[in-house]
Amino acid sequence: MVKRWLDRYLSKKKLLATSAASQRYIVIDLELTGLDVKQHEIVSVAWVLIEQQCIKLSQAAHYINKDVQQLEQSPVFHGIAQKDIITGQSLDIILTKLSDYFDDAILVFHNASLDWGFLKHAFKAQGMVAKPRLILDTFLIEKKRLHQQGQEIGLDDLTLAACRARYQLPDYHNHHALTDATATAELLLAQCYQIGQGKDLKLVDLVYL
Amino acid sequence: MNNEQQEVAQFVKTQTPFSQIYSSATNYFVTHIDSIYLTRENQSQWLQSDSPRLFLIRSGLYDLVDAKGDVITRLAQGDYFGFPSLLTGEAIQNRLETQKEGIVYMLNQESFDFLRREYKSFEQYFVRAHANRLLSSHYKSQNESWSEKKISELMSRKAVTLPPDASIRQTAKKMKMHGVSSIMITEFEQLVGVVTDRDLRNRVLADEVEPKEAVSTIMSKKPKYIFENNRVFSALHLMLKHNIHHLPVLDEHHKALGMITSTDLLRQQKSDPVQLIGRIYKAHNISDLKRYADEIPELLRGFSHNIDDISLIGKLLSGLTDALTSRLIHLFQEDNGAAPTSFSFICFGSQAREEQTLHSDQDNGLLLPDDLSDQHQNYFRRMGEFVCEQLVECGIRRCPGNIMASSELCRMGISDWCERFFKWIKSPTPEAMLNCKIFFDLRFIEGSNSLYTSFCEQLTRISRNDLFYAAMANDIKSNAVPIGLFNQFKLEKDAKQHKFIDLKKRGVVIINDIVRLYALKAGVRRANTQERLDALLKYPLLNNQDLYNLKDCWRFLTQLRLRTQINEEGLPSNCINPDKLNSLERHQLKEAFYLIKQAQQAAAFKFARGSL
Repeated sequence: MVKRWLDRYLSKKKLLATSAASQRYIVIDLELTGLDVKQHEIVSVAWVLIEQQCIKLSQAAHYINKDVQQLEQSPVFHGIAQKDIITGQSLDIILTKLSDYFDDAILVFHNASLDWGFLKHAFKAQGMVAKPRLILDTFLIEKKRLHQQGQEIGLDDLTLAACRARYQLPDYHNHHALTDATATAELLLAQCYQIGQGKDLKLVDLVYL
Repeated sequence: MNNEQQEVAQFVKTQTPFSQIYSSATNYFVTHIDSIYLTRENQSQWLQSDSPRLFLIRSGLYDLVDAKGDVITRLAQGDYFGFPSLLTGEAIQNRLETQKEGIVYMLNQESFDFLRREYKSFEQYFVRAHANRLLSSHYKSQNESWSEKKISELMSRKAVTLPPDASIRQTAKKMKMHGVSSIMITEFEQLVGVVTDRDLRNRVLADEVEPKEAVSTIMSKKPKYIFENNRVFSALHLMLKHNIHHLPVLDEHHKALGMITSTDLLRQQKSDPVQLIGRIYKAHNISDLKRYADEIPELLRGFSHNIDDISLIGKLLSGLTDALTSRLIHLFQEDNGAAPTSFSFICFGSQAREEQTLHSDQDNGLLLPDDLSDQHQNYFRRMGEFVCEQLVECGIRRCPGNIMASSELCRMGISDWCERFFKWIKSPTPEAMLNCKIFFDLRFIEGSNSLYTSFCEQLTRISRNDLFYAAMANDIKSNAVPIGLFNQFKLEKDAKQHKFIDLKKRGVVIINDIVRLYALKAGVRRANTQERLDALLKYPLLNNQDLYNLKDCWRFLTQLRLRTQINEEGLPSNCINPDKLNSLERHQLKEAFYLIKQAQQAAAFKFARGSL
């Protein structure tokens, strides 16, 4: 038990010491019916991969959960109507496809506490084990960066749009899970460039400790 | 699975060429690209010769820099780069310098080739973009010949103007204030006159005119002028021809922009054929003229190293021929007395189109008033004979078809000329068509401009004949472009079994013919093909894209013709062996011929429907 814990600790420490640029990332975004893991559901899951600092739009994926019970928020907001749901996949298939990436890719979210919270809950409910090697959060990366610059952080300063604006990334207007995943991936690359400042950036520099 | 990159797709579909083609192309593009955050640190790793890609900029600013470190262009949102290597397969020569980092989309060769195959407009867009970049970087690299510059590049001073009711004293004060030696008199922004230092001396002081008089009483009315888009060469030509030192510059709406002076031009001048033209206009006798003419071939040889645009050589040679002709007419009048009536000395064919080469022969004529007395006819016969003979002495060959002012058939009164044209128009035999192609390209050289203008007006009227247009369109269609089935070149063979394509006969001439037909229909009174195309932009006969296409084709073929002068294989002149071209040029050549074919068919459809 202790050894397993120690092994995991050591391998994570080793991973954190590696270069951020050489890693493979899977950037994930969920659409939810609400914010409460216990009550609300996952409407759709989207992800894009980053390999060698390159966002693989050609390998992007977006799946609608066809088992979703109800759309509590406006369907216009998600861009997903009840009729789209028929074309979706069941959640266990989506989660299986997603977890295939966990062995060699680092997970990235914008505000992982929410999205990863839902995913963790869903894996558990399906009786699946999902142990990602590492999770990065562009929300926390930005928070840390602003802290280190001694800036006051307001409530709205860490939304995906506000973070992107800080790097002069283009404005995205629609809130589609795939758009947000792509937007988060672009944000991560911009953050890496800003934080790295020409040096070889290590993963440890991107973790909020 | 629902892979919808809505935000990316929305951006891509508003970019050319995607905005012009099916949305399936956008969808394909969006699902086959990768996206990078391009920065100063990784800018070199993406442009790799072994894996060329097409790049489309989503955000950020980047400079495209050539091997010498000169910035070719600045790239921003919506700009593409990387396509030259994708098209040619050649190594990447340029590099990027990031000014502001941002998102860039990349497409690999395989996907790029797919889009090229599937969507013709996609293909055309990038082939043309590449050609344009080649041209522009080419032009930049060459030693810019100043006479090729546009007037607007030379003109630094702002327009100094006064209304015509200003007093002479006000005029002098304003000129003093701005430190200028000439001033433009304008009314409602339109140029009505010019006043120079010399005018203040000769027309005010010497004539004892009161300084409180209105300046309109002493200004030079209806002055010569030039447009900002004209070449410096044209300005100099105009100044030398009319012996003026100040030339107002106007924009296309005839609004006065400024003044260009002979000093401005001298400052630019080094050693140039233009100087020669100046000397020709001042030559006092025939032996001087001949001596100057002897310099032409040598001078041009030196000059052709500097310029890569054969159309400029054509312009220069025509300018020299014009100058010689004009001077000979003056010298004739000095010896034989001034012309007893008004006359117009005109030119036809390649000289009129300003496409002359060193081997071009004379194509000229004399336009006279009707019903001249025998005595007057005799005067102009001697003038025609003198000019044509002396031009031969100056190295411009006789016309084998006798299209020369020395021939009775080319020295006629307006009515007789019209009669001659009308005969061709009425019965469009092959011979008549051939004549039309030469005689309908005509330009005024010397004499009375109003005589020439009224002739042109009559010509426009009698040529307005649908059967004649149809005959011309059919004639144009009978000259096939050298592209066969399956998009292969059709090659010609000569006695020595060389295989070649005649770029002039099968390309440039067809474009000239098509453009002439439209120009006649529209009543455009110009002879130069490029100028005709520009003028046709204002008429609804052809859409602008087609006109730009024809212009591009003409330029491309003309440029390629230059190659035929360095002729290793001993091919006939103006001919090229397509195997000697690289794959992109071969492709562009096919594209050019394809566009010409389309234009031929469009002309046939438009003008010859009834007779098909």
